[in-house]
Amino acid sequence: MNNLGFALDGAWRVLLAGLALGAGLPILFALGIRSLAWSAAGPAPRVAGRVAGYGLFAIVVLGIALGITFVVATGFGKALSFEHLYPTIVPKH
Amino acid sequence: MTFILWQGVRHPGDHHGVTQATAILALVIVTALAFDFTNGFHDTANAMATTIATKALKPKTAVALSGVLNLVGAFLSVQVALTVTNAVVKIQNSDGTPKGSLTADGGEALLLIILAGLVGGIIWNLLTWLLGLPSSSSHALFGGLIGATVAGLGWAGVKWNGDGSKLDGVVGKVLLPAVLSPVIAGLVAAVGTWVIFKVVAGIALRYTEQGFKWGQIGSASLVSLAHGTNDAQKTMGVITLALIASGHWTDTKNIPLWVKVACAVAIALGTYLGGWRIIRTLGKGLVEIAPAQGMAAQSASAAVILASSHLGFALSTTHVATGSVLGSGVGRPAGEVRWRVAGRMVLAWLITLPAAGIVGALMWWAGHLIGGLAGALVVFLVLIASATAMWLRSRRIPVGEHNVNDDWVPPAEQARLPERVAATVAN
Repeated sequence: MNNLGFALDGAWRVLLAGLALGAGLPILFALGIRSLAWSAAGPAPRVAGRVAGYGLFAIVVLGIALGITFVVATGFGKALSFEHLYPTIVPKH
Repeated sequence: MTFILWQGVRHPGDHHGVTQATAILALVIVTALAFDFTNGFHDTANAMATTIATKALKPKTAVALSGVLNLVGAFLSVQVALTVTNAVVKIQNSDGTPKGSLTADGGEALLLIILAGLVGGIIWNLLTWLLGLPSSSSHALFGGLIGATVAGLGWAGVKWNGDGSKLDGVVGKVLLPAVLSPVIAGLVAAVGTWVIFKVVAGIALRYTEQGFKWGQIGSASLVSLAHGTNDAQKTMGVITLALIASGHWTDTKNIPLWVKVACAVAIALGTYLGGWRIIRTLGKGLVEIAPAQGMAAQSASAAVILASSHLGFALSTTHVATGSVLGSGVGRPAGEVRWRVAGRMVLAWLITLPAAGIVGALMWWAGHLIGGLAGALVVFLVLIASATAMWLRSRRIPVGEHNVNDDWVPPAEQARLPERVAATVAN
């Protein structure tokens, strides 16, 4: 395979991960804001809206924590592995 | 002192050579730290331009936060980036030691290539800063090194295309990612912005403003941290290479602690200084940024930078950040992108590598023709003279925290363009 092949192969993976995390997480965050606004919009506070809103924020915070873990792990010569579905820190090979 | 003098009398040639190489080494280290410093202020915008433009953070707070996170990021990089030049030039073996042919005379041949390359990178970084153009610091560094290597070792000294076993060489590590990464980041940011605007349409501002403010601060912090980890490493690698070449360090698995501290502090101070001219272009010049857009753009940058470094796909933070800001302008309903500013920026990207390369090559020739310590000193003085000239030029129209957020098109001019005012009101 030549350089262009390697680059395009890397590019679509980065694009997929970028869409999932870079667009997906802020969209969840926006949905969280929408839920909170909805919960406060009626005459009586809607509990479901608050629960959904903070639940969505929690997912976003987990996503950011994953990002920080990745930066730190890479810095210490480790890698993040997703083979168990949940991320684990493994030695880099 | 007496001992050294005595030695000097006994072996005048040897002693002279070693002292001279040590003096050149000192110049290389100072220049490398200066590059690291320009790398810092050139790239503050990548993390903080949108956060400053939307007033999520005060300008000074933003650059201070980014500076601290760069410092932390730089210390997190325990991994050794000694082989950083191997992506583009052939001055090191695969284990990171310098090529044997370049280490005679205390490594003077290698030191001159590095010095000339760094000067090429700094001069180009300063010029693009003066013009307020966000160009890639890694391209400037690689360009300078490539130019100096071509001048010193000929065209064959440059690794243009790799050996076909992985993404490598100038094409694979520099050119292709430069074309692809802004497009990827732009797409991600455009999708994010478009959906976010749909999701929050009709919600009271008090919910969105506060929420997106924190979203922006979080994502911008992540970009700053990743920047510190990636970029400070490059200078650490270059300085350690110079130390090995001149015989002051032998361990290819570790970097001297003082090198790490010096590089981390240099990039953090540079970031804190804030490249206000570039922040202004990226935050105000390209698109008018709303908080939701800022968050989408910054998250896209963070995700693309982290994902690509996870997948070993080298790219420039600058290209990603600019692509994201552009994408957020395209994705925003009725958003306006100043394509002329974008065009100027793309032009700067295209010429960064060759321009820094030409400066690097000229510096190498100057240093080589004069020769020895005098040659290295002349190169260093050229750097100081051009840096001073550009700094003085920048004072004529200063950009700082006081005016970084001023309207891109002055109000007086807007009044003369009725259609533009109409468009602004419609938004």
